[in-house]
Amino acid sequence: MSDICRFFRSVFLAFFILQAFAGTARAEVSASAAWLALGHYQKTLFGGYESTIDTPNFFLSAGGKYNPQDELEATIALFQSNDYEKQCLFPARYVFLKKHGLTAAKFPECKEYEQFYHDLRPNGVTLLFTDANMNNPSSLFGHTMIRIDTARKGTQLLGHGVTYGAFMGENPGPFYPLLGLFGGYYGGFTVKPYYEVVNTYNNIENRDVWEVNLDFSRAELDYFIAHLWEVGQAQSQYYFLTRNCSYLLLENLDAVRPSLQLARKFPVQVIPLDTMKAVQNIPELNKGINYRPSRQSKIRHRYKMMNEAQKEAYLNAIKTHDYRIEGLNEPETADVLETAYQYVQYQYVAGKSDLKEYRKESFALLKERNRLSQTGSIEELSQNEEPMRGHDSMRAVLSAGARNGKGFQQLAFRPAYHSWTDDNYGFVRGAEINFLETAIRHYDSRDKFVLQNLDILSIRSIAPIDAMFAPISFQILWNVGRDYNPQSGREGYVTALKTGGGATLRLNDNIMVYALANGIAGYGGFLDDNVYGAVSGEGGMLASYKDWRLWLKAEKIYASVKWKSQTVYYAEGAYSLSRNWALALSGRYEQNYGRDVEEGMFGVRRYF
Amino acid sequence: MKKIYLAAAVLGSMMMSASAYAVDSTGCGLGSMAWKGERGIGPQVLAATTNGSFGTQTFGITFGTSGCDPDGRISGGTGRMALAFLENNLEQFAMDAAAGHGETIETLAGILNVDSEKLGEQTKARFASIFYNENADATSVTLAMIDLAHEIA
Repeated sequence: MSDICRFFRSVFLAFFILQAFAGTARAEVSASAAWLALGHYQKTLFGGYESTIDTPNFFLSAGGKYNPQDELEATIALFQSNDYEKQCLFPARYVFLKKHGLTAAKFPECKEYEQFYHDLRPNGVTLLFTDANMNNPSSLFGHTMIRIDTARKGTQLLGHGVTYGAFMGENPGPFYPLLGLFGGYYGGFTVKPYYEVVNTYNNIENRDVWEVNLDFSRAELDYFIAHLWEVGQAQSQYYFLTRNCSYLLLENLDAVRPSLQLARKFPVQVIPLDTMKAVQNIPELNKGINYRPSRQSKIRHRYKMMNEAQKEAYLNAIKTHDYRIEGLNEPETADVLETAYQYVQYQYVAGKSDLKEYRKESFALLKERNRLSQTGSIEELSQNEEPMRGHDSMRAVLSAGARNGKGFQQLAFRPAYHSWTDDNYGFVRGAEINFLETAIRHYDSRDKFVLQNLDILSIRSIAPIDAMFAPISFQILWNVGRDYNPQSGREGYVTALKTGGGATLRLNDNIMVYALANGIAGYGGFLDDNVYGAVSGEGGMLASYKDWRLWLKAEKIYASVKWKSQTVYYAEGAYSLSRNWALALSGRYEQNYGRDVEEGMFGVRRYF
Repeated sequence: MKKIYLAAAVLGSMMMSASAYAVDSTGCGLGSMAWKGERGIGPQVLAATTNGSFGTQTFGITFGTSGCDPDGRISGGTGRMALAFLENNLEQFAMDAAAGHGETIETLAGILNVDSEKLGEQTKARFASIFYNENADATSVTLAMIDLAHEIA
């Protein structure tokens, strides 16, 4: 054999070995956390991979949604081709390939992407949390967003807010909550100027906003923007509880810094506040936090800071709509006028004044304020209890007690979120939302465990009426519980829906009293006619002092079945040992038809 | 010459916003943002319980070009940016203008590339002509502010 042949053979062999090497190297790269995060791949139950992204335009290979390795090969091929239009959709993947020496190509000129980058003038990434404002029942669990901080002159109002949300179309119809729960909508990212985000949340929905600045390097920031451009073109099925606004943001953060592994901490439900906590638990990711109060918070704060004469002048002005303030000095007057102006805006947004009247009043206030040469002395609210420092969302309670003299033990668990007697640091006072709270009970006399109660959903909101605001207090409770019918002597499960509305007054900083009128509907197989209906009147008190909470209530029920016509007295007190440990004591007395119930219980609460 | 360009840009945006004017009678004056955000509790309940957004806008192609349009990115030249900002923040800007300081003054000073303190002072001094009556709208205020910025630049 000639030398030439031998030479070619060894070259061929070397080439083959290199190829194999490259193949293994690529397999390693395609299984790296960085590549998986960039493609939003998560491990499936069967050991494979699946991307959270659903739209086919996000994938370059046919099975790309399930095959990160094929997708890497296809991405390498894309940047070897001259399909520049498509290359422009994947600027972050390009950076990834470059870093791993998998492409020698230059990134093409991409007008739209460059415009996008130029408009944003990115200078940082901030994670935003808007709290739940119960009394404006729109949002119960809060909401998270991202702000791309800007390098533009001026303020961060010129930054951009990035939201992941469901696209529901103009006319979502009556079933949208169900569709939202079960993936009936597609979700995608939208970008808006930050001043619009502030308007929506602070000024229209009256929700406080928390801004957590993330510590990203310049390279990470640019990578984040590049990846945002990639997912910005794509959509995913939206699930309200799991694949929601907060989850996709976590995946985006993981894509930038794969070591964060944030998304995998939320395999089941993704509560926005919990995701904030997860981010804050990574110290090297946090640069600082800033609080942006809602309009309502600002008004309340300013009113609180006024002296007595100011308060009087202010209340008089908003009542009479006459904004000529007398008897105060200039700074005092400025504070009153500026607060009244915010109040007029608030009233208009709430639909309580018409446009003409509103404009006239606003203008009168502006003219009065413009006349003054000095500025007010009240400082804007810049701090508040951080919701991220409140107790954790899941709760387990181990209790022991007695019912009509019979001893029992009870174990209760709820995945989310907050009860009236839980530590209320960082939570809206008087707001409760619980989801799937389950209690299993064991009586000493019977040797078995039974489901005592399942609170599918309980939402309670009592908000005090004062001189400025007149919110409605309300509750919606849906549960399945054991009931006893003394007339038939039978016991069984009843599912009941109770809704009520009423009013609340604040007695002082610590005590609120409320009254609610309720309607109740119950259904249970063991009942005489399967169903009952009832109305009830309920009065109660909610008190909170340092680490203590106390809830007292009395309720009179008139029902379509005699045995359900009851009078119920209930007391529940709790004491916090620490952020996530508490003790609770409760007592119940029911005057039932023919048979009263007395129950007392002591328990230890653990939040996690 | 530059001034003419700016005025043209603003007027152009004004024309594009004609359709927005047609939708309701609020125009782009005080209170128009609240209409855009749908006042009252009903629409909010719908919009936020599932954290959804209405409409079918997709990413990247939403540029705020028309008057009062709440969608889009901050983009374009000074005039367009100033108009878009004031359309969205007229309520707060009006009070900051009357008082001579505040976040919206700082922001607008950034857009117009002038000293924030000076702008605040002068805006306060000329408040009566900038907000000539309660129907002053974002377009007229923007034109007045651009004039003012040129004077103090």
